[in-house]
Amino acid sequence: MNPIDKQGNHMKIKAKLKGDIVKVKALVKHDMLTYDTAKKKGLKANFITRLTATVNGKIVFEVSTSQFLSKNPIFKFQFRGAGKGDKIEMTWIDLLGNTKSGKGKIK
Amino acid sequence: MQRRKFLSLSGLAAFAAMAPARLSAEDYRTTKPDVWTSHTVDDSIKKLYGSNRYIKEGVKLTAPDVAANGGAIPVDISSNIPTKSVAVFQDANPESAVAVFTVHEGGIVNYSIKMKMKASGTITVILESLDGKLYTATKTLEVALGGCEG
Repeated sequence: MNPIDKQGNHMKIKAKLKGDIVKVKALVKHDMLTYDTAKKKGLKANFITRLTATVNGKIVFEVSTSQFLSKNPIFKFQFRGAGKGDKIEMTWIDLLGNTKSGKGKIK
Repeated sequence: MQRRKFLSLSGLAAFAAMAPARLSAEDYRTTKPDVWTSHTVDDSIKKLYGSNRYIKEGVKLTAPDVAANGGAIPVDISSNIPTKSVAVFQDANPESAVAVFTVHEGGIVNYSIKMKMKASGTITVILESLDGKLYTATKTLEVALGGCEG
């Protein structure tokens, strides 16, 4: 079962410190509806267009995206400069302007 | 069900509104809108970086030789080059661009994503180094079941 559905959350963030590197895995709930599929289904295309992660007010990860990421996309990334217990916050915005945030703690 | 879903999300909207709007970094969808509507990889790269001259080394791109499900193809990208941005393209879908990563202070070029491809084709990664050079890696793969649904 999909853990993000189970808890009614829209994002699941796991962040782990290994040495001086923080490794993050984020699971985001979004249909990522392409223009083609949307047309077939008579819906409006909608997909995440930008996603950022911040720690202590600083951006540590940023990506601009198209409709060609998978449904419920996964992002794995790494960065330096944060410690155990620091909070990581991720925010996305989609084509229709919806925006959602999720939080995680670096373990 | 749709309505219930909407209501449960509206509570979160208040929280989202509190998120700071000071994300200073580059939103490539606004600054380079043409990149996302280009139909060929070459065209897309040119619109993003203004050049089609790149060095074929320094970037590691990993994807399966055969993707059983074109709706979620795992792609790993890594490099040790001091990097400004990393862009991912493919030539199987109507448009080419998939994602553009901006590398921030402390950021490491080691990304994993899952992407969609409608048919077999080639994934192209372009890395823009801090000193303005372009590096590339490509991977051609077979897609068993095309995935642009969903």
